[in-house]
Amino acid sequence: MSSTMPAMASAVRSSGPPDPNLVKIRDLIYKSAGIFHPDNKLRLLEDRIARRTRDLKVIGLREYLDILTQRSSAQQEMAKLLNEITIGETYFFRNQPQLDALKTIVLPRVLEARSKTPLRRLKFWSAGCSTGEEPYTLAIMLSEELNGLLKGWTFEITATDLNERSLEHAKQGLYGDYAIRNLTAALKQKYFTPQNERLQVNPSLKSLVNFSRLNLQDDTRMLFMKGMDVIFCCNVLIYFDVTSKRRVIQHFYTNLLSHGYLFLGHSESLYGVNDEFRLVHMPSATAYVRGDTRHVIGGAP
Amino acid sequence: MTETVRDQLLRKLESLDQMPSLPVVVSQLLNYLEKPPDQLRISEVSNVIARDNSLAARCLHLANSPLFGRYQTVDTVHAAVIALGLRRMKEIAVSCCLLNLTPSSGPFDPVLFWEHSLECALLSRRVAQAIAFPHTEKAYPAGLLHDIGVIAHLWLVPNEFRAALDVATARHISLQDAELEILGITHCESGKFLAEKWHLGEELTTVIAFHHDIDRAPEHRMLTAIVALADLLCRMNAMGYGFPEDRQVDLTTEPAFACLMSESPTSKSVDWARITMEMDGYLEEVRRLVALLFRSK
Repeated sequence: MSSTMPAMASAVRSSGPPDPNLVKIRDLIYKSAGIFHPDNKLRLLEDRIARRTRDLKVIGLREYLDILTQRSSAQQEMAKLLNEITIGETYFFRNQPQLDALKTIVLPRVLEARSKTPLRRLKFWSAGCSTGEEPYTLAIMLSEELNGLLKGWTFEITATDLNERSLEHAKQGLYGDYAIRNLTAALKQKYFTPQNERLQVNPSLKSLVNFSRLNLQDDTRMLFMKGMDVIFCCNVLIYFDVTSKRRVIQHFYTNLLSHGYLFLGHSESLYGVNDEFRLVHMPSATAYVRGDTRHVIGGAP
Repeated sequence: MTETVRDQLLRKLESLDQMPSLPVVVSQLLNYLEKPPDQLRISEVSNVIARDNSLAARCLHLANSPLFGRYQTVDTVHAAVIALGLRRMKEIAVSCCLLNLTPSSGPFDPVLFWEHSLECALLSRRVAQAIAFPHTEKAYPAGLLHDIGVIAHLWLVPNEFRAALDVATARHISLQDAELEILGITHCESGKFLAEKWHLGEELTTVIAFHHDIDRAPEHRMLTAIVALADLLCRMNAMGYGFPEDRQVDLTTEPAFACLMSESPTSKSVDWARITMEMDGYLEEVRRLVALLFRSK
């Protein structure tokens, strides 16, 4: 064979295939929480699992997989693992393709649908807003559009969470380096005031977001969240079992106006949870729309 | 009367003297691997590839990528064929051969073309597998070659093709509509012409000709629909031709999707959201591979 080339050997990578146990854990997480780790994120997943295996003093992925599958420990351990997976997940402008899709595709469509009604006011809901980065990001983005796309329009942002401590943090609006790492200098200057080492959200921005405590499983209160144009529910459903998830999603379906959009976290899906919502693709982002309205497809065929 | 861009293109396509010819290895491999498995010999396949050193080097880059199911590092073509199997090796070799087919300079970056083609090939393979298409082995080459009409445009009418891309970008219209406007011919039509000249076979020619117009495909509709859907998902996932298609795609209203749904019962239970998310895992690797392949050209 003339094809042996020593120069090649150094160019090829030597890392092996992913551990099959890791792949099984990935699929288990997807099945139980709807959150998916593509192959290029498996290393990250392994790091998060390592935090659990250290605490549990188990030696390998095989043994950890057993804990995740044994009836006595599965549910509790999955909850703990999901906590590790979503830890530190929140910061300003976290999912740029999603925000771009909101701006270039969703907003124009929503405005078109809304312009047929007398009220020129849009309603957004950040369901599971955690410490507030998501709704404030939305408020910044929408404020930036007030002289553009949203000229002549007003909007309201409702931000809810179950956790009171998170909500307190959100209302206080004080953020450190990690949370603000994606903010441009111009936006920092426009919407924040430095306070010691941190940044404080300006009152004008704060006034655009209504924070309140809400349990997404509280059927009665969920009925009041009506007339939404866009709902964001990122990395929240993962904490629910399938039955509760179905109920929450069903509520979202009725909470949304017929032209409304539901955004989930970057690697989340509704597969097996709800078949009324339809998945739509936008550049590098996906969202769900109500299946009972056929949208006219704009642009290219 | 002055010659239209379309006439000029068709005339040049007829003679093919301003374009590279299809590497002999590709037709050899495509023909050879059509044989029944018991007539295939690993050494014959690896010899065909190993005869060309630069081709062999490029093949090894792909053979060592997780996208082709690598289980151990391989450093010879022979070892790669044994580790990955003949089918994967064919995918790899055909991909590498085709890399020489785009002009290396001009108003369009060939890297974008190959990223799209490779991603589309991988995704076609994935979709075919997900819907349990009976001939999964046909999906990869079909995805890889679906846009060869673009290659013809890059060689024969590069500036006009660039203009069509710019029009598509500026007006948010599809590439083929922009091509019709500027060139008077789409990459599907020139691709069909080229596929016939290159004797790519009826099936591939159909995919190339009808991936933007499934309903008119006379046959091989499933394969065409698989590639059309993969192509669409690639474009929606930052793997187009470098221009953003700011639009919303609802798969359920796509003719390709309807075709799969009506012809494959398995399609109804496919988790398209997961397939989309899996693509995120390919993106970086496809970009890395294409960059590597271009450096070792």
